[in-house]
Amino acid sequence: MSDRPPKLAERLLRWLVPGREGEIIAGDLREEFRERGGGRLWYWKEALSCAAVRFSPHRLTAPDLRQDLHYAVRLLRRNPGYAATAMLCLALGIGVNATVFSMVNELFWQPLPVPHSDRVAVIGRSGDESVCSYRDYVEFQRRSGGLLTGLLAYDEMPTSVDSEGVSRMAMAEGVTANFADVLQLRAQAGRWFTAEDERPGADPVVVLGDGAWSRRFGRSPAAVGQRLRIESRWYRIIGVAPAGFIGVSPPHTAEVWVPLLSQRYVQEALANPGERERPRVRMIGRLAAGTSLRTVESGLRTIDAQILREFPRENPPRGGLTADVAAGASMPAVREFAGMMAALLLGVTGIVLLIACVNIANLLLARSAVRRREMAVRQALGASRWRLARQTLAEGLTISVGGAALGLVFGYFCSRLMARSMPALPHIGTVTLEGRIDWRVAAFAAAIGLFSALLFSFAPAIEQSRVGLTAWMKGDGPSKRLRQRDVYVVAQVALSLVLLIAATLLLRALGRAQQAEPGYAMAGRLAARIYVSEPEYSEQSGRLFFDRALARVRSTPGVRSATLSYTTPLGFTSSACVAPDAATRRRRVSSDVIVPGYFDTIGIPIVRGRQFTAADSGGAPRVAVINQTFADRYWPGEDAIGKTLWVGCDQKSGRVEAQVVGVARDAKYESLDEAPRPFLYTPLAQDWVGYMAMIVETSGNPADFTAPLRGILHDVDPSLRVYEIETLEQYAAESLWKTRWQASLLAAFGALAMALAAVGLYGVVAYSVAQRTREIGVRLAMGAQRGDVMWMVLGRGLGLTAAGIALGIVLSAMATRLIGRLLLGLSPLDPVSFGAASLAWLAIAMLATYVPARRAMRVDPVVALRWE
Amino acid sequence: MSGRLHLIYNAELMADHLGEFEQIVLLAVLRLGDDAYGVPIRREIEKQAGRKTTVGALYSTLDRLEAKGYVGSWFADPTAERGGRSRRYFRVEPTGVEALARAREMFDRMWKGVRLV
Repeated sequence: MSDRPPKLAERLLRWLVPGREGEIIAGDLREEFRERGGGRLWYWKEALSCAAVRFSPHRLTAPDLRQDLHYAVRLLRRNPGYAATAMLCLALGIGVNATVFSMVNELFWQPLPVPHSDRVAVIGRSGDESVCSYRDYVEFQRRSGGLLTGLLAYDEMPTSVDSEGVSRMAMAEGVTANFADVLQLRAQAGRWFTAEDERPGADPVVVLGDGAWSRRFGRSPAAVGQRLRIESRWYRIIGVAPAGFIGVSPPHTAEVWVPLLSQRYVQEALANPGERERPRVRMIGRLAAGTSLRTVESGLRTIDAQILREFPRENPPRGGLTADVAAGASMPAVREFAGMMAALLLGVTGIVLLIACVNIANLLLARSAVRRREMAVRQALGASRWRLARQTLAEGLTISVGGAALGLVFGYFCSRLMARSMPALPHIGTVTLEGRIDWRVAAFAAAIGLFSALLFSFAPAIEQSRVGLTAWMKGDGPSKRLRQRDVYVVAQVALSLVLLIAATLLLRALGRAQQAEPGYAMAGRLAARIYVSEPEYSEQSGRLFFDRALARVRSTPGVRSATLSYTTPLGFTSSACVAPDAATRRRRVSSDVIVPGYFDTIGIPIVRGRQFTAADSGGAPRVAVINQTFADRYWPGEDAIGKTLWVGCDQKSGRVEAQVVGVARDAKYESLDEAPRPFLYTPLAQDWVGYMAMIVETSGNPADFTAPLRGILHDVDPSLRVYEIETLEQYAAESLWKTRWQASLLAAFGALAMALAAVGLYGVVAYSVAQRTREIGVRLAMGAQRGDVMWMVLGRGLGLTAAGIALGIVLSAMATRLIGRLLLGLSPLDPVSFGAASLAWLAIAMLATYVPARRAMRVDPVVALRWE
Repeated sequence: MSGRLHLIYNAELMADHLGEFEQIVLLAVLRLGDDAYGVPIRREIEKQAGRKTTVGALYSTLDRLEAKGYVGSWFADPTAERGGRSRRYFRVEPTGVEALARAREMFDRMWKGVRLV
């Protein structure tokens, strides 16, 4: 047995209970150790038990931590400029991160705004957007009694809601009558559906969403009982959904709810008793008390297998059922897109935060230089290194608490701004994002606040604790610390340059895309979406209507030409199945249905053969026009004119043989940044569809013709449904929304990063000037010109910037590959972008170093030499 | 940081009620009179109450009692056996004596008329 207690245990004890009290306890243990004659294990146990002393609030040494914090707060209060700068930098960094995170939170974790949403499960099927058919749902409902207290079925229906002659695309949800019961929803006004509303022959009823209620009826309770026209039917409004409820597929916003069984397509499908596959629905259920999600999922899978066995069908689904708590975006496509965007944005905001942290670290380092004397004395009086470092950490923690709180406020406003700037995705309906700050976002802000505090306090804390009394007295030190700060500034410049280059690349890509040749003539043209639908129109009366409408529009003064097309250029697109012969497998190609004269109005030249004429009528042989890519792909090297195609997707209605009579020049059909694709045109006379776009070429400003055009169309038929009327240029601009949104976000963050880094650069240069005042004074006294001094300082600042830019270029070259897909053909190493961003930074750097350089220039050598 | 690591009591921070271990420590200090420092206090508790206490438990309790004003402490000279470290002696203050007396009365009242079968 050794004579002395185990050294490591003693060290642990001293660490747990520092100061005099620890000494006392160590002494006690040493005494007992002697008396007992040893016992290492016993000593260890006793040493570990001192953790109780450490965490007792009445320890003699506890005041130290509180003292540190108290001191830190006092210090920050006495230096409000420094405190404010630090907190502001951190607030900016945390704020942008909190903003992005709040979007992520909303799209992934925000629960449905219904009571006890954690007991509501969304039933899905892997690999399939819909889950089952309505008849299957009825079976599920019958057999899932033990697992769920209620099961509802729903379907998302893009539809049109009409009022005052304007039809609007809106999203409706067709639901079963137990919708409100399962979700425990209460109507704001009126009521929700009952089983009565699902009876065959019942009066069609609709529940309004809160937004629609506001917009159309000004939240008047008299709305209940009024009628609303949806598609071609009149519905009676029976109630209003609760505020904040936008449907069961967030972030898509449902404007109205209708009973599923009142929809014609549902009734038609169900009229056939053998129909097992349609209509497709999705399901949501409320868990029974005491059941878990896993239990419900496996229970439903069992029922699914039973149903598929008892009711065999042609195309049984392959994926298995899944049950998930209703939270976040319901569609996997949205989650995927959101995930990608979130990853990109969080990377960017992470860099901004990093730059902010470096700024704060530099500030702390500068402060620590000022307090060297104090630290040296404290160390001489017996404070340990840890004690000194803890002071810096306490300061950092205080700054981060203030910064995180400010950051949350900033993030709140920022996220509301971002939510409102989310473009309404054209032709898909409204997407609602709230930009709310809830506990998860606050926790995230606190976490990154803490993490940042550790990050930016680390180096200064080490610096602070390393001060030796003798070193200070000798007057050492500034050169080493300056080098460290130099490295930080170079890093800041480099990182912010990466963001700037990325933003410039995106902006240039956007510019290029906007200037890309679409292949059409866009100027002076607008498109009006109209719908001649059943039951008001049959195919025959619909054709008559189109003829009359075209004739009326064409004869209007100011109209150069008018035509009809199923798709709109760079807007709504469609597809058809084709095969070069009966044996080859069908493939989908983009397609359009047009009338004669289309190519003239739209400005696409026919390069071979002819376009459709009046002779290509319903009874005549079927014809088709293709584009160049189609011809090259299917008949390379040959003349496509005269070749035949099999057109048709539907198994039941069969395919028809059509002869190619013309080849049109390629164009951009869906978005300006797409790759060339094959395209097929068929004539309206041989291929009826009632939902067409009337494209009009005007001699004046096309936007001015919007109201007159609507007037003309309603003149021909007052009950015609006319949807949006936009100029072709508007369609083109909208098709680039994604790129535009990304570019603006990145530009905003890049500018923020650059501003933060410029502040950092300024700080470092200003500090070095302050440090070298004496040296500058000496130089001036020795005959140096003031201009030389200024260049000396400028040179330093620019040198740091140059190093940062060089590093930034290297980092960007590696990083921009990640956004290559978003650049629409522009090279990720585009020299113009790299050059422009670097020059911009250089200019900012000159500005940031100019101010301290001028101050250096104005140093009075007499004063400087006296300064100590 | 509310002394939750102290394994014995729930209501330690209520100044009026002395916990069981706190009473034991106070009594041990009283018994030892002038000679009450860490090592003999622990020995006394082990001998009289049959309880093994760790140094951490003891000192955290003594700290708490001192914060409440029930004990006072002073430091003596360092000795060689302690590796050159001083001793911390404890004494029970008048408020501590009162608290002990109150605790005793409370137990007496609770015990009155109780018969253990």
